[in-house]
Amino acid sequence: MITLGLQEKNTLLTDVNKRSGANVLECYQCGKCVSTCPVSNFMDFPPREIMQMVKLGLKEQVYLANSTWFCLTCSACSGRCPREIEIPAVMEAIRHLALEENYTNKSAKVKAIRKFHDIFLDMIRRYGRSYELRLMVEHNIRTRDLFKDVMLAPTALLKGKIPLLVKPVKSAKAIRRMFKMAEKLEQKHK
Amino acid sequence: MARVGVFVCFCGANIADFVDVPAVVEEAKRIREVKFAIDYKYMCSDPGQQQIRDAIVQHRLTSIVVAACSPRMHEKTFRKALSDAGMNPYLLEVANIREHSSWVHQKDKKAATAKAADLVRMAVAKSIANEQLHEISVPVTKRALVIGGGIAGIQAALDIADARIPVVLVEKSPSIGGKMAQLDETFPTLDCSQCILTPKMVDVASHPYIELIPYAEVLELDGFVGNYKAKIKKKASYVNFKTCTGCGACWQKCPVKVPNEYNMGIDKRKAIYTPFPQAVPNKPVIDARYCTMLTKGKCGICSKVCEKGSIDYKMQDEIIEREIGAVVVATGYDLWDPKPYEEYGVGRFKDIITSLEFERMVSANGPTNGVPVRPSDGKVPKNVVFIKCIGSRDEAKGIEYCSKICCMYTTKHTILLHHKVHGSHSYVFYMDIRAAGKGYEEFVKKAQVDTGATYLRGRVSKIYKKGDKLMVRGEDAQIGQVVEVEADLVVLATAVVPNKDNPDLARLLGVSYDKYGYMSEAHPKLRPVETAKAGIFLAGCTQAPKDIPDTVAQASACAAKVCGIFAGDTMKKDPMISTVNKEFCSGCQNCVTVCPYGAIVTEEVPMGHGSKEMRTVAKINEGVCQGCGSCVAVCRSMAISLAGFTDPQIINEIVSI
Amino acid sequence: MKKITYFPGCSAHGTSKEFDETVKMVMKSLDVQLEEIPDWNCCGATSAHTLSEPLSYALPLRNLVLAEKLDNTTMAIPCASCYQRMKVTKVHLDKNPDLSKDIGTTIVDEGTYQGKIAVKSMLQYCYEDIGLDAIKARVTKSLAGMKLACYYGCLLTRPKAITQFDSPEYPMSMDHIVEALGAKATEFDYKTECCGASFSISNTEVVIRLTGKILEMAKESGAHALVVACPLCQSNLDMRQPQIEKQTGEKYNLPVFYFTQLMALAFGMPEKELMFRKHIVPVEGALAQIGKIEPEPEKVKKPKKAVEAESEAE
Repeated sequence: MITLGLQEKNTLLTDVNKRSGANVLECYQCGKCVSTCPVSNFMDFPPREIMQMVKLGLKEQVYLANSTWFCLTCSACSGRCPREIEIPAVMEAIRHLALEENYTNKSAKVKAIRKFHDIFLDMIRRYGRSYELRLMVEHNIRTRDLFKDVMLAPTALLKGKIPLLVKPVKSAKAIRRMFKMAEKLEQKHK
Repeated sequence: MARVGVFVCFCGANIADFVDVPAVVEEAKRIREVKFAIDYKYMCSDPGQQQIRDAIVQHRLTSIVVAACSPRMHEKTFRKALSDAGMNPYLLEVANIREHSSWVHQKDKKAATAKAADLVRMAVAKSIANEQLHEISVPVTKRALVIGGGIAGIQAALDIADARIPVVLVEKSPSIGGKMAQLDETFPTLDCSQCILTPKMVDVASHPYIELIPYAEVLELDGFVGNYKAKIKKKASYVNFKTCTGCGACWQKCPVKVPNEYNMGIDKRKAIYTPFPQAVPNKPVIDARYCTMLTKGKCGICSKVCEKGSIDYKMQDEIIEREIGAVVVATGYDLWDPKPYEEYGVGRFKDIITSLEFERMVSANGPTNGVPVRPSDGKVPKNVVFIKCIGSRDEAKGIEYCSKICCMYTTKHTILLHHKVHGSHSYVFYMDIRAAGKGYEEFVKKAQVDTGATYLRGRVSKIYKKGDKLMVRGEDAQIGQVVEVEADLVVLATAVVPNKDNPDLARLLGVSYDKYGYMSEAHPKLRPVETAKAGIFLAGCTQAPKDIPDTVAQASACAAKVCGIFAGDTMKKDPMISTVNKEFCSGCQNCVTVCPYGAIVTEEVPMGHGSKEMRTVAKINEGVCQGCGSCVAVCRSMAISLAGFTDPQIINEIVSI
Repeated sequence: MKKITYFPGCSAHGTSKEFDETVKMVMKSLDVQLEEIPDWNCCGATSAHTLSEPLSYALPLRNLVLAEKLDNTTMAIPCASCYQRMKVTKVHLDKNPDLSKDIGTTIVDEGTYQGKIAVKSMLQYCYEDIGLDAIKARVTKSLAGMKLACYYGCLLTRPKAITQFDSPEYPMSMDHIVEALGAKATEFDYKTECCGASFSISNTEVVIRLTGKILEMAKESGAHALVVACPLCQSNLDMRQPQIEKQTGEKYNLPVFYFTQLMALAFGMPEKELMFRKHIVPVEGALAQIGKIEPEPEKVKKPKKAVEAESEAE
């Protein structure tokens, strides 16, 4: 059971609205987003429920939900929302706020998703470009799922789908500067 | 020496929360001419008015300032209080410290208070220059014009005519009856729409006090309340109604088939047609867009088969004029076109239809003999999905408001499907069930229990085709799961939108309309049938979406208002009108050009006392002048003055701050 | 000869080499010169905006600035994801000039952002700038006989406010292009459903579920093959197809072409150069349909008089 009215002021709502530029209060719970979302059934709470939970100020549940990690930003929901709420922006805002406040969803699936993005960004930091073979291999190593897609790899390599070498960006300095700036700006939010 | 009384109203919290009312009273007391100032919670209430009446006598006041809401709201109330105390009512001035101060400056009480004090100061200064004025009497033409012959127009016309007041009823299409004539049964009683409507249609046609003008449009409306003049275009019907017996030989033989509007285009009618068998008048017209005799000069069959020789291909539109005293606008509604719902495949999938199309199919006199069928293959559907709020409550694609009637007619449709198709099942996707009305919630409950319809709470997100079925996907928020319904037919409850001709008609009549195109009532609560223009009233969906009971109630209310205007032989009118000082008038006639009411004419007067030479000067028609002041502003010789807004009054106001 | 700026994207050197190559071939034959952005970097893809908002704007910004230096009015991007990131950044920066100042300081060496270049997807460029007539004019080998399900995915037409191109729900631009090539586009209701995109590696289960449904619906529409304009869509639908078939027990056998491969084919370019060998699902069956034309079912003619009046009544 959730007891309402005893909490402090709902800062979650104001934080999410401010960061996303959307107004969660406009949501009237029609559920069109839920049946639109291609991954809603993988989510702890589908978008409609996340909206209501933000309104209720259930910060911990919202920040720890896997929903924001599963959002593909395909924008199908916002394109159909009768109130034109930018739902992907809301999902992204929640994810960023949770990251900044060090809320971590510990489920294996979210870990895998996060790891993928970490590896991907790492690679860009190093080379300025992405490198698919390395991405697959590193992801498998870091998620300890060594043989995932191993059946695909030979065909893909054989067909020249996945190159062995990558041509890095020459201006490595510019790339590094961008990453530093991003870190600094994120620190500022905290 | 002027002795002014100032009465400042709290308006409950409306003013008092944002304006320091006692401070305004104190400010007023500092004005030399103010001999009495007081505040009160509700100045418009009887005890409030009593204070005004008492103060007038006790303090021998010469003019009154009430600082309260807009004069549009209560000026009349306070004027009456003055009269009751034996004072000329036009010695009242209202300082609008609610709409002009407290409501618009809610964030700064100090500034709002200062502004309120300024408004009071101006009103006091103006009132000192107020003169005693007296109401004007104008004659009244006792005839009403009703625009639109749907159930709203029919009801209004019958009620007015029953009071023995002549009515001119103008209908755009060839028959009266409107949307209600297209309905099968009506909620919440399921009585047959035709059975309750068609007798009223016949009453209209046979009523000695009603002049029915079908297939016609109002082109112009000049004048003012009690004295309007309407120009009406009778469209050429190419059929002489006087000789036509309505035998039907013409339309039976006509070779040109076009989509039948009455049946939502599901079947065809002919180029010469009566809209439906129970039409009033039951006389055909030729649709000039399609008749090949009129477009290409070929055919002429209808003329050949008409035994009475009633067909006249040379008939022209005719303009007629009627003098009238009041107008009821009853133009009805249109249905929203669901094309923007691309995710539903609207326009691509034939088996998605609108509710009115469904209504025609289940109608006993409909194109499919009362049984719904799939437009794609003509099969009778078993699983029917009804989707509510199509366009309604959808800012992205349609309109923001709730269309009010869809919940109820969809409930009715589940019952009709249940009755007409054995073994059928209804699925209803809804957001809320809005069943506020007498017997409505009971109707919904009975329908749900009797039909076993499956209600799913959620907006449908997608429809796609699988084989010959339509897959309808939505969330059932009650169980938090996404569901897909295999549908044979999908029925969209499309939103009610204003008649698309409303904005043009509103401009022509001189009444205002809102952002959607609904005509605006004078006050959303207290004057729901009047417009801001005196003598023009609104009935039915012209003003907002409404069901039949509400529409009929509003139409009867219009009739009562019209009868009120016609209660005496003359009408009282505010004396705030312009007068011309002939001595100063140079006869330039600028005022004649700017007057929006055509109230200024010219007359010849002698050049001087006893002179035989004449000169032209302006003359105001008292009955027509609405006191807008345009003539005053353009008059270069300052010969025109507007009672209640004279130069000394206005200058006093300006000087006071 | 027209000249435009070209941003190939990382996958052009890997999984979508055939897209990159055929874009180049087709553009050459349409008299459009592609000028590649020198030393471009990754757009950041989904990962950047998932983890870091500033980074998600900074990475595309550097490319935009470099692109503007080339002095072309338009930039065309084959990859839907790169296109989306670049266009989002452009729209966002054009609306918030302050942000471009903030982030712009990190790439001072490259220059400052002007906001003058138009950013288009390669599909949009072909449809809007080249046009169906020019495409039709180049066709030497009609693809008649082939039935194709055009799959757009999420990022080419959504969100409408960003892309300003075609319909977000039922786009038709690619359908019109393949019809200009002589093929028939099928009525395909899943053309804008998401394929799972970046979850391909991290959450394969999701991708298998989503692409499975897309393949099923494409098959249902009667298509011989799918056509795409996005490397991620292509690899999810093509590379994962055998896996999906194993799971669902269905046999789809739907090759997944880039629309430029089919343009090149219809323009009469040798099959060998179109890199069909890189496809996981064999293309031969679909290509064999070319030339096999079913006779159109004859329409029952109505009496002339009634038809005439009806057409006027529409």
